[in-house]
Amino acid sequence: MSALTAGPGKVVVVGSGMAANRLVESLVSHGVDDITVLGGERHAPYNRILLSAVLEGTHSVDAITLRTPQWYADHGVDLRLDARVDRLEVTDRTVVLVGGTVVPYDTLVLATGSLPTLPPIRGLVRLDGRLHDRLHSFRHLDDCLRLSADVAGRLARAEATGGDVRAVVVGGGLLGLQVARALSIRGVLTEIVEGSEHLLRSHVGAPAGTILARNLKRLDTPVYTGARAVSFTDGAAGAGPDEPSDRRCGLTLDNGHTLETDLVVITAGVRPSVALGRRAGLDVRRGLVVDDTLTTSDPAVHAIGDCAEHDGRTSGFVPSAWEQAELLAARLAGEDVRYDGSRVVARLRATDLDVAVLGEPEREVAAGGEVVEIANPIAGTHRRLVVRNHRIVAATMVGDLSRIGLITQLFDRRTVLAPHEPGDLLLGDAPVRPVVLTDEAEVCACAGVTAGRIRACSSLETVRETTRATTGCGGCAPTVRQLLAQRATTGSARAAAPTARPQQRPEERTEESPESPENTEGNLR
Amino acid sequence: MTDTHCPYCSLQCGMTLAPRRARGGAVLEVRARPDFPVNEGALCRKGWTAGGLRGHRERLTTPLVRDRATGELSAVGWDEALDLVAERITELRTASGDDSVAVFGGGGLTNEKAYLLGKFARVALGTSQIDYNGRWCMSSAASAANQAFGVDRGLPFPLSDVEQADVVVLVGSNLAETMPPAARHLDRLRERGGRLVVIDPRLTTTGERADHLLQPVPGTDLPVALGLLHLLDAAGALDEEYLAERTTGFDDVRRSVAGWWPERVERVSGIAADDLRAVAALLAGSERVMVLTARGAEQHSQGTATVLAWINVALGLGMCGKPFAGYGCLTGQGNGQGGREHGQKSDQLPGYRMIDDPAARAHVAGVWGVDPDSLPGPGRSAYELLDALGTDGGPRGLLVHGSNIVVSAPHATQVTKRLESLDLLVVADIVMSETAALADVVLPVTQWAEESGTMTNLEGRVILREQAVAPPEGVRSDLDVIAGLASRLGCDASFPLDPEEAFAELALASAGGRADYAGITYDRIRAEQGVFWPCPDRDHPGTPRLFADEFATADGRARARVVDHAGAAEQPDADYPVHLTTGRVLAQYQSGAQTRRITDLVDEGVFVELHPMLAGRIGARDGDQVEVSTRRGALKASARVVSTIRPDTIFVPFHWVGANRLTNDALDPMSRMPEFKVCAAAIRTVAPAQRVGAS
Repeated sequence: MSALTAGPGKVVVVGSGMAANRLVESLVSHGVDDITVLGGERHAPYNRILLSAVLEGTHSVDAITLRTPQWYADHGVDLRLDARVDRLEVTDRTVVLVGGTVVPYDTLVLATGSLPTLPPIRGLVRLDGRLHDRLHSFRHLDDCLRLSADVAGRLARAEATGGDVRAVVVGGGLLGLQVARALSIRGVLTEIVEGSEHLLRSHVGAPAGTILARNLKRLDTPVYTGARAVSFTDGAAGAGPDEPSDRRCGLTLDNGHTLETDLVVITAGVRPSVALGRRAGLDVRRGLVVDDTLTTSDPAVHAIGDCAEHDGRTSGFVPSAWEQAELLAARLAGEDVRYDGSRVVARLRATDLDVAVLGEPEREVAAGGEVVEIANPIAGTHRRLVVRNHRIVAATMVGDLSRIGLITQLFDRRTVLAPHEPGDLLLGDAPVRPVVLTDEAEVCACAGVTAGRIRACSSLETVRETTRATTGCGGCAPTVRQLLAQRATTGSARAAAPTARPQQRPEERTEESPESPENTEGNLR
Repeated sequence: MTDTHCPYCSLQCGMTLAPRRARGGAVLEVRARPDFPVNEGALCRKGWTAGGLRGHRERLTTPLVRDRATGELSAVGWDEALDLVAERITELRTASGDDSVAVFGGGGLTNEKAYLLGKFARVALGTSQIDYNGRWCMSSAASAANQAFGVDRGLPFPLSDVEQADVVVLVGSNLAETMPPAARHLDRLRERGGRLVVIDPRLTTTGERADHLLQPVPGTDLPVALGLLHLLDAAGALDEEYLAERTTGFDDVRRSVAGWWPERVERVSGIAADDLRAVAALLAGSERVMVLTARGAEQHSQGTATVLAWINVALGLGMCGKPFAGYGCLTGQGNGQGGREHGQKSDQLPGYRMIDDPAARAHVAGVWGVDPDSLPGPGRSAYELLDALGTDGGPRGLLVHGSNIVVSAPHATQVTKRLESLDLLVVADIVMSETAALADVVLPVTQWAEESGTMTNLEGRVILREQAVAPPEGVRSDLDVIAGLASRLGCDASFPLDPEEAFAELALASAGGRADYAGITYDRIRAEQGVFWPCPDRDHPGTPRLFADEFATADGRARARVVDHAGAAEQPDADYPVHLTTGRVLAQYQSGAQTRRITDLVDEGVFVELHPMLAGRIGARDGDQVEVSTRRGALKASARVVSTIRPDTIFVPFHWVGANRLTNDALDPMSRMPEFKVCAAAIRTVAPAQRVGAS
């Protein structure tokens, strides 16, 4: 059945994450009315990228809820939470839930997201297959709530006993750094273990990663790079699985060092959640392979978000997921639109730690992009622009985001730049020189009064009466007082040098050759 | 000596006029009038020099009629001119129906003129085709306020309340230049320890006063508001009790901003996430927050939505109706407020009544002594009206009062073409404006000091401009023109020549409406330094502050509306890579028809502001001739290289012919406001300036 001619029929969405939620919003606004959402979590759709903010305490759970179940009901969408999908029967066009419920579809959208990767650490998983209760993954809201409660309990007990709480974050990617900063701000002594040679390995080069590690050390978060955690030892042998224990555990690294800790958070990357599709026989590589119409190898099955692989790439970012969701909704509503990839800006959301990654810097450098960069390890900053065909095609910024708003715009809009601009963007603004007000510089814009005319006055009253300066918006009053004061003390008008800048004048105006004050007053030309 | 008000912006500063004999006739000397509370004697240079058109050699003093054969304008007597106009109107109406003649008014007209112009259109012409340039000024804020509060009064409190706030957020306002005396209130706010947040793509003299300056990409004030609300909700800073008691719809708004975290706002708006957080923290910790929007936020294809988003911020914090806090709009034109209340808007009748409301029609028809069914229905909005001129089914004749369309309309080349296609264009003005220059008949009318009339300032305060001098020989009031045409068209409804009489009728027509003037008289205005509407009867003190107990909605609660960011209609691309925004300069006003002719005001001509980085890209230095082009037109102007503007944005002031040849005519779906404030443009260097020492 072609989506373009016959409409999508009964739409079933597997997943209730950010991609799924945006898809439903868009479908609803396009007037598609037969929608069922099978969400694996018990929570209404929420803003996953703010989980570390919930952990840190800057956001309440309510504040990250994207849509309530009531909204779904109000818009006629059948939202089923805590619905575990057992399998897809693509020949019958049905989804079978754990427990046997069968949900038929005409159009199926897989928005199953991704799953945390568990590194091979001995002792990570109990004999019964459950994750050790001192170990936390950090993908779902329930993970976040469990970690947050664990931290709160330990901090309370530690405060009572005068002790402290320690955590190790395994994995120094974007999520790991966010979680580490959140834990630090909560008051947990946090360390980061990163198996590769530097932090944010998939986003930045070694120098930026090294500077980032130094910045974290300044924030009292030690970083161990080039070190893999190999085994986890539970200090509380004999204690029951649900019995709280405050005895420290040990995380041993491959260099032989053991970190004592109360809890371990695993943020060692994610992989697309493709098991359902794979078992249903869909084409799967790293993700569920989709074409430019976001359709899998089965024409009735689409995939969007983290679980989808388009043009050889999977993405872990919300903007791409949302672009795909909106595009697929438009297609299902009959528009002939095609997906040709997304531009990604990855921003670390962590207090006091500034990182932005635009596009894919490493890939762009390899593809021949020219690098313009400034590193200042002393100040903890490293900024790199990758330029190709006069455009910023990628960038990394660590420790200094002062121009991020502009650089992102130039990147997103593919603005053609002159050769000097990438450098200028990194150098920042030239320091503003104090302007010596020449007699013809306009001091009062409301009344059109020059510094020379102020200097010719003996008092503020004379200024008011003869020039009307200061009687409009009042903004020039400080400058006028300064001019009058200098007149009184120096007796020489030209020696006076107030540092106020004349209002809204072109930069080079004060460098023009002075004309007689009479000619410049009022109409300049 | 006459106590009156300035002829220009919505501040309507009090001033005293002292006519003085001088060589070449009477001169109007402007003196300070310290007793009027809005400006306390302060004026900007426009106000001080306002008398400059008195006795000006370019004043029109005789009606002019264009000879169809030669195209030349020649002087005629008033009777001849009005007879001719009436005759041509009758021909058009006979040939093509009542809607073949349209009326275009202005936000600078007095309440009396605006009221009688609307009545003239509906009763004497029987046309639905009337709108005014205020549609390009206030309409987005008006539409948003009506939706949220059930009433549209620019400021729901006196301007001086600004001083008592803790934080004032100015969104898209450069009031220190556009209404300089208003900045004194900001300065007092800051002297008291209050904070100022300014949101503007340019650092202006207003922005220089700010504690926090956010310079977003033009067209992204909306996501900035969504991001702030997101942060305020996250921080638990919303006033839950207020939201539960005084608003409806806020839960949906709350959900809708959960997806606008600061880093997403940063990518869209160019505002660094930490800067947004700093402003949110300031708002979260403040008792009295006041959000004021102006044209920078409103003149967009999403202008209404943008204002609604900022209203949601004010509602979320529980500010609307609280003393020295809330939301307000800084009106632009002198009578931008009153001009939209009394019937020159295509969909409205006097008293801010809606023309499709049967009860409103019955009331107004009763005052006018006509059958309610004889009143036409809603007509086209301003740009749509102009765009339809001379087309199939569009008006073929147009009367213009108080507007210089050729300079002020968006996509001005197109609008000019439409004006040129008319069978009849009549323009009433004080000078030969660019629009009058296209007219078939030009009618010379009085300027502000030569007539009396009321204006409603940005606070909703009805004030009185008193006549100070007799008009020049040969000049008549717009009221005379309207009455003269009405009688020639055989209309026997009343069209008073005396402004006070007209105002009394307006008061009756507005009685019971949202903008109720029924209890206001000229004497009360004189005695009370103006009267704030609503003022339903003579004993009512007027209403300086609205919403203390309830909003003007059916259930008394404010409506929080979900809005989302769609972005400007035209985004930069490879061919037009920068954002163009427009605005005003201190020494000029609107289309400049008045101010450009006043010799004491600096007229430097049109210029383009651009950042040194962009100047370097195109090889331009300060003063060089550059050409700005958009998909609609091009403009040559001198470059002003300033580091106060975003490097991806250029600015052109709109007082001169040309700026609006560039602007986009994309309209806001709710307010029909054109997108003056952002479009995609290209810029290149044409010729270097003459430099000292250059060969």
